[in-house]
Amino acid sequence: MALKTLAHDEKVALQHIREGRFQRSLALITAFSSLLSGLEVTYEHYVGSYSQQIMYTPVFLSLVLCIAGMWAVFNRWAARVLLPIVSLITILDGVVGFIMHIRGIQRKPGGWRIPVFNIVMGPPVLAPLLFATSGFFGVITTFLRREDDLPQAARAQVRSTSARRPLWMDVLPRAITRDISAVEQDIREGRFQRVMGVATAISAFFSGFESLYSHYKNNFTYRIEWVPILLTPAVMIAGIGSVWSRALARTLLPLTSALALFSGAIGFFYHVRGVLRRPGGAKLPLYNILYGPPIFAPLLFAATGFLGLLASLLRRAK
Amino acid sequence: MKNPLFGAFKAPNTGAHMLGPVQKIDFPMYRYAPGEVVDFCIVGVGAAGGVLLQRLARAGFRVMGIEAGPFWDTERDWVSDEAGSSKLYWNELRITGGDDPIALGANNSGRGVGGGSVHWAGFAPRFHPSDFRVYSEDGVGVDWPMAYEDLKPYYELLEREIPVSGPAYYPWGDPHGYIYGPHPMGGVGDVLIKGCTKLGIRVCAGGPVAILEGSHGDRQHCIYRGFCIQGCKVGAKQSTLISHVPDAIRHGAEIRDNCMVSRINMGKNGRVTGVTYFDADGNEREQKAKVVIVCGYAIETPRLLLNSACPGFENGLANSSGTLGKYLMVQIGNVVLGRFEEPIRMYKAPPAHALTEEFYETDPKRDFARGFAIQTVGPLPIAFAKQMMVAKGAWGWGMRRVMMDYNHWAALGVLGEILPWEDNRVELAHETDRYGLRVARITFRLHDNDKKVAKFGVAKTTEIMYAAGAQEVVEEPRYAHLVGGARMGKDARTSVTDSFGRTHDIPNLFVCDGSLLPTQGSANPGLTIQALAARTADYLISEGENVLAGRPGTVTRPPVRQHLSPAGVSGKGVPRIK
Amino acid sequence: MKLVKKNGRGLQDQMGTEQQGDDKRLPVDAQTGQPLAPRAQPGYYQGFQTLSQQAFWDEATRRVVLARVEHVPPVRFFSAEEARLMQAVCDRLLPQDDRDAAHKIPVVNYIDDRLYNRRIDGYRFEDMPEDHEAHRFGLQAIEAIAHHLFHRPFVQLEPREQDQALQTIHDGNPPAGAEIWQKMPVARFWMLLMQDVLEAYYAHPYAWDEVGFGGPAYPRGYMRLEGGKPEPWEVEEQRYEWKAPPTSLSDEYRPLGGPGGHKQQPPGQEGTH
Repeated sequence: MALKTLAHDEKVALQHIREGRFQRSLALITAFSSLLSGLEVTYEHYVGSYSQQIMYTPVFLSLVLCIAGMWAVFNRWAARVLLPIVSLITILDGVVGFIMHIRGIQRKPGGWRIPVFNIVMGPPVLAPLLFATSGFFGVITTFLRREDDLPQAARAQVRSTSARRPLWMDVLPRAITRDISAVEQDIREGRFQRVMGVATAISAFFSGFESLYSHYKNNFTYRIEWVPILLTPAVMIAGIGSVWSRALARTLLPLTSALALFSGAIGFFYHVRGVLRRPGGAKLPLYNILYGPPIFAPLLFAATGFLGLLASLLRRAK
Repeated sequence: MKNPLFGAFKAPNTGAHMLGPVQKIDFPMYRYAPGEVVDFCIVGVGAAGGVLLQRLARAGFRVMGIEAGPFWDTERDWVSDEAGSSKLYWNELRITGGDDPIALGANNSGRGVGGGSVHWAGFAPRFHPSDFRVYSEDGVGVDWPMAYEDLKPYYELLEREIPVSGPAYYPWGDPHGYIYGPHPMGGVGDVLIKGCTKLGIRVCAGGPVAILEGSHGDRQHCIYRGFCIQGCKVGAKQSTLISHVPDAIRHGAEIRDNCMVSRINMGKNGRVTGVTYFDADGNEREQKAKVVIVCGYAIETPRLLLNSACPGFENGLANSSGTLGKYLMVQIGNVVLGRFEEPIRMYKAPPAHALTEEFYETDPKRDFARGFAIQTVGPLPIAFAKQMMVAKGAWGWGMRRVMMDYNHWAALGVLGEILPWEDNRVELAHETDRYGLRVARITFRLHDNDKKVAKFGVAKTTEIMYAAGAQEVVEEPRYAHLVGGARMGKDARTSVTDSFGRTHDIPNLFVCDGSLLPTQGSANPGLTIQALAARTADYLISEGENVLAGRPGTVTRPPVRQHLSPAGVSGKGVPRIK
Repeated sequence: MKLVKKNGRGLQDQMGTEQQGDDKRLPVDAQTGQPLAPRAQPGYYQGFQTLSQQAFWDEATRRVVLARVEHVPPVRFFSAEEARLMQAVCDRLLPQDDRDAAHKIPVVNYIDDRLYNRRIDGYRFEDMPEDHEAHRFGLQAIEAIAHHLFHRPFVQLEPREQDQALQTIHDGNPPAGAEIWQKMPVARFWMLLMQDVLEAYYAHPYAWDEVGFGGPAYPRGYMRLEGGKPEPWEVEEQRYEWKAPPTSLSDEYRPLGGPGGHKQQPPGQEGTH
């Protein structure tokens, strides 16, 4: 009986995803990923000693986004109004952070003239963009339908939500708002597989590049450190390929994404083990988390896998 | 990669005075006219001199610093090379003797703007509250004429200005946190951590060091190249050259570099009138000042005061107590070296990056007073070879062999408290230097308590080495640091200055450097010296016209001025446990 | 990388072929017992030279280090005979028989340069003469010991005999030169002499390559701080077992001042706290 219920739940969940009716779940994912990103940036910026006050912004924003995401699970207004605002600010913050990190690398002795060295030892160049992916989740969440929205109400909802269209849309020219509405509708109906495919590829690139130079710094002491490096191009091919090929989106994408998810989980385990194996081990917990393998980074690689799996379940825009 | 992009690195061609890869002085320095009388003349622009220069200039006084060495341009003058860095140290002659003489040499005293803070390894712990009352508490040494609480606000200020990187919670002495985060470990730090955690000894990783963990304005994050003692070309390790001097110059201070002060001139009515110095071309010049502050460090300060003897002050200036030059202290600095199966490469990362002060305080169960700290050190090849010469008696093929093994060795330094003894002293020798000034003669010997500290410290460090997995452990006896010689005190009969560095004998003559310290704890003195300078500056600013006119002091508790820090210090770092 | 000594040829070049091809002075392979041929780079880090990274150094450093390699100072302080004796002494204090002719480090030239320019480390022990005098006295004392023990000048002794002579100074009980040892303590002279030799040798890039030291590191620092890992441009350690030549006595570690030890004096504070 329980198995039958599970199977039924799974069917419903997949149906929801196909139809774009998973706003609450994605809001929860947004909250969770921004929590992890937030913890990661908090201690990484502590390693950088918060030498500039702007380094506090992602700490603060990740907390706000987490709260917004959780609130959006329960509250439609939070999902439609608060969440997109906070998410867009988060994405902006990530872009600003990316620029700051580029500038930080340039200001190191030798600057961009010793690019490999300063990318390895400087501020992690793509990390702010990875941080922004929680914001990306949040933006997608805004446009989805909620799980408990009935399918018949879709049309009615379109009319009703267009009545409560976000104010910022009014300042844009009609041509653009028309496009946005079309995209909105696609997302609402779960027809944004291509977008998600590309997003997966980009997120894989960010995550993969970070792990490449981090593992290089460690001289690939453990062979398994090559796994995320090898998986990244595979996920990227699948993600970008899904723009053109439904088949890829249905086969290679979920396969590589599942592998990425799995390897991220394994990586998390290895990183935790690495932290405990450092000199002093669990007796210097804060220090070893700061300077051990970054414990949340593999989970961000797993998040890429999750993105890809989600993408593979969606429908495609017409 | 065979080359950096766009070819080999070339010297910067900005034409400005560089203090690092980005930081520079590109604004003019005010120059006093010949014959002009300045308010404060600071002799020696080192750790204390640099802080004083900045504070007084910012407060609006007319200040001049006279420094025997050069005003460094770090890109042009400093090299990332052990043998090529001897110009940073004081290489003029001193005679050293006694039963256990101090060998001075590289890394002992500095020369040039920044002084010893150019080549210090950068450990910046505070003294413990007990250090200020060793006589009352342990019956040894002497009490300071101030309490830890008097210096604490200045520790906090300097820790922010330098800034000092370290853990969020530093458990020893007066527990506190640091404004910049801790540093990553190098090979030696890992050895110390392994050994200490195995033996259940608390250890502090990543600080407290005056090295940037994160950028700070135009100063860059440390790049972990291990050449701290050869001068930090990156500007990550603090010296007053890069942290305080630029701000001083911006506020109108002048520095006359390559100028050796030869005497302090006494006027009538028992006040100093200024100094005489040899300029860069060797010509003798006079600089008149209302107040003279001597910041020449533990040997040159007593030497100058003794050399300035004149009628009425036959034993040297400010020496009515007879204690000038006495109560000189170095710290036990024995290095314990261990050989490991796995490679260590101890030349990477700052030599200073982990320590434990677990044995700092007096332990009644031990048979000696006071204690020691254990710190990481990172000798480069020449220094390591010299250590092996002593520690293993290595020479010939034995030396070649152990040196080929360099990357398997780790070194930990004991930093033990030597008490102030009257017979450890600086005097004048009969020999003269190239300026015709009598050179300093230092006499030093270890007393019982000091030897016990050394013995216990070495034994404990050896234990830690073995616990970390060393296969072979050897020891090199040596000293570290150098303080005392013009100590402060409440009683004019047993000290040279009061707690603000004002000499008891001469109202407008001050001393402000390591020679003030009556005791030294087991902490590296650099931070304390800079904090004392900031406190003296507050005193001088409060006294104002009073001190400039050479009248006796009236201020006993100057307010702690928070707004006189160099520009660009605020808005950086993390909130910390106070 | 071909480096040409521009002026002041290293003394080894001038020594002629006396010592070349003398297998007795070479270290031996620990397994086979066969002498190891002189090579360009002894030590466990074959395949990496710090000089190959000079483009990554800053210009001031590059200038100083290359000058050290290319512009070997001529001998001006020591007389020709003193220089010969000093060379023979340095060849025992820090033997370079395992280095090929093109890669010998001209230790005597650097020491001579310091003494000629009267550069000091900022201190002199009260019971020592000035450094340049101490070296002269020391050479005289070494010659006296050679005559006392073997009745021949030091430069004509076999390597083992030379080691024996020098060992007496290391152990603090030289059998000759009493009037010289009145002017300077044995232990202090040994440390002065050894320090000068060590400073001259291990300041040289060839010596850095031998010990696996990374060399100058600015503007590019290090990325692999823990675990003793080599940087990406360096090589891993490749150890080989070797024994000192059978003619030498110095591959045995005895405390300074001999078995009874003596009060050890620290050789300056560099490299520490």
